[in-house]
Amino acid sequence: MFKKASFLLLIVGLGVMSCSKDPISDLSNEESLVYITNHDKSANFNQYKTFSIVDSVLIVENSRAGTSLDDIDRAMLQRLITNMEAMGYKHVGRKENPDVGINVSWITNTYLNVYQPLSSYYGGYWGGYGYGYPSYYSYYQTSESSWVISMLDFKNPQTTSSGKTFNVIWEAQIRGAAIGDQKLVDKMTDSIFGQSGYLKIK
Amino acid sequence: MKRIIIIALFLGSVLPALAQEKPKLYTIASPFERYTYYLATARYAVGIPMGSFKDNYIDKTSFQNASISIEWVLRNSQLSVGGEIGSTYFEKRVPRALYEGSEGTISAVQTRTVSQYPVELFANYHFPPRNAQVQPYVQISGGASILDYTVYYGTLSSQDQKVRFKYGIGAGSKFLFKKDGNVGLDVRVKYDATAYKYDYIDKGISSVSGSIGLFYRWW
Repeated sequence: MFKKASFLLLIVGLGVMSCSKDPISDLSNEESLVYITNHDKSANFNQYKTFSIVDSVLIVENSRAGTSLDDIDRAMLQRLITNMEAMGYKHVGRKENPDVGINVSWITNTYLNVYQPLSSYYGGYWGGYGYGYPSYYSYYQTSESSWVISMLDFKNPQTTSSGKTFNVIWEAQIRGAAIGDQKLVDKMTDSIFGQSGYLKIK
Repeated sequence: MKRIIIIALFLGSVLPALAQEKPKLYTIASPFERYTYYLATARYAVGIPMGSFKDNYIDKTSFQNASISIEWVLRNSQLSVGGEIGSTYFEKRVPRALYEGSEGTISAVQTRTVSQYPVELFANYHFPPRNAQVQPYVQISGGASILDYTVYYGTLSSQDQKVRFKYGIGAGSKFLFKKDGNVGLDVRVKYDATAYKYDYIDKGISSVSGSIGLFYRWW
C-alpha cells in the first residue's frame, strides 16, 4: 500500500512541477522595451556644442557587419537628430569638425543555450527542443537584437601609438521583443534621452 | 426462469435492507480506530507574503499554490507523520521605472517572480480522539525548497535557481464528511519560511497561506 501511494505522489508531483508559467506574456510591445543608458561620469557635456551622426545604421550580426538604411533606420536617425537638437546641440556635417559623433548600430547575437528541466520559465517561453540529445537536457537557440547608440568624443581624441581613438562618453542600448517596431521608434529615442538629463547643455 | 428466480432472490434480499436502517457491519471499533491508517490530501492555497520579502520584493497575494501530502496516522497516538510536496508562486508587476545598476541606468517594466517547489516532512498533533469527525491539529514541517527567482526587465530576465532549507508551522482541522468515512475536508493556516538571500531578497522568503483541501483515508 505504501509503495503504491508514494508512486502516485511522485506522478502527481511531476505534474505539478511541469506546470510552466509565463509571467511576461501579457506585456505590450511598448512595455517589453528596456532602455539601458550609461555615460562617462567624468565627461563635462557643456564643452560640446556640435554633433554629427552616421548616415546609415551599422548592422552587426554575430561578428559580421554591414550597413542598412531602410524606413526604420531613417526614422531612428531622424529622431536622434531631433532629440540631440532638443538637448542643445547643433547638427553639423561630419566634415565640419563636430565635437561629438553619434553612432547607431543594430546588433544581433545568436546563442545556443542549454537548460535543465528545473527551469519553469524557459520551458514554456522558448519551447525547448532536443534531438538525439539525452532527454535530461534541452537545447534552444535564441537570438537577441538590440539598438546601440553611442556618443563619441571627437573633441578630445586619445592619441596612441596605433593612431587616434575616441572615447565613448554616452551609450544607450534598447532591448526587448519590440525594438523592430517602427511605430515605437520615437518613443524609444525619446526615452533614452529622457533618462539622460545630464546630456542637456545650455 | 432460473434467471428470474435469481433476480427475485436478489431483490428480496436487497430491498428490505435499503428500506430499513443500514445494518451495522461490525460491532467492534472501526479499523480507523484500531490500525495505523493512511491519509492523502490535495490542497489549494492562497499565499500572503510576509516580512521583508513583502516589503522589498513582492507584496501581492498569490492564488497559484497547491500541494499534495500523504501521511500515516499512527496507532495509539495522536500523532501523524508524512510528506508533502507543493508548488507556490508569487508575482508582482512594477510599472516602468528607472533602476541604477553597474551597467548604467535601466528603464524597464519589472516583473518579479518567485516559484518554489517545497518538499517537506511534517508531523501533526491531533487534539481529539483519532477517529473523531472533527480533528483540529497543529503541524510542524521542514524540508527543502527548489526555488526559482526570476526578475524580468521587460522581456529580459535575470534568474537564480537554488535548493534551500525551509520550515513551516501550521494549525488546521480535518472534517470527515461522514462519521467513520473515508473522505473529508482539510482546512489549514500555515506559516512558511525559506532561507534565501539574493538580489532583492535579504532575509528569506516568508509567507502565510490559507489552504483548503480534500483528503482520502484508508487502512
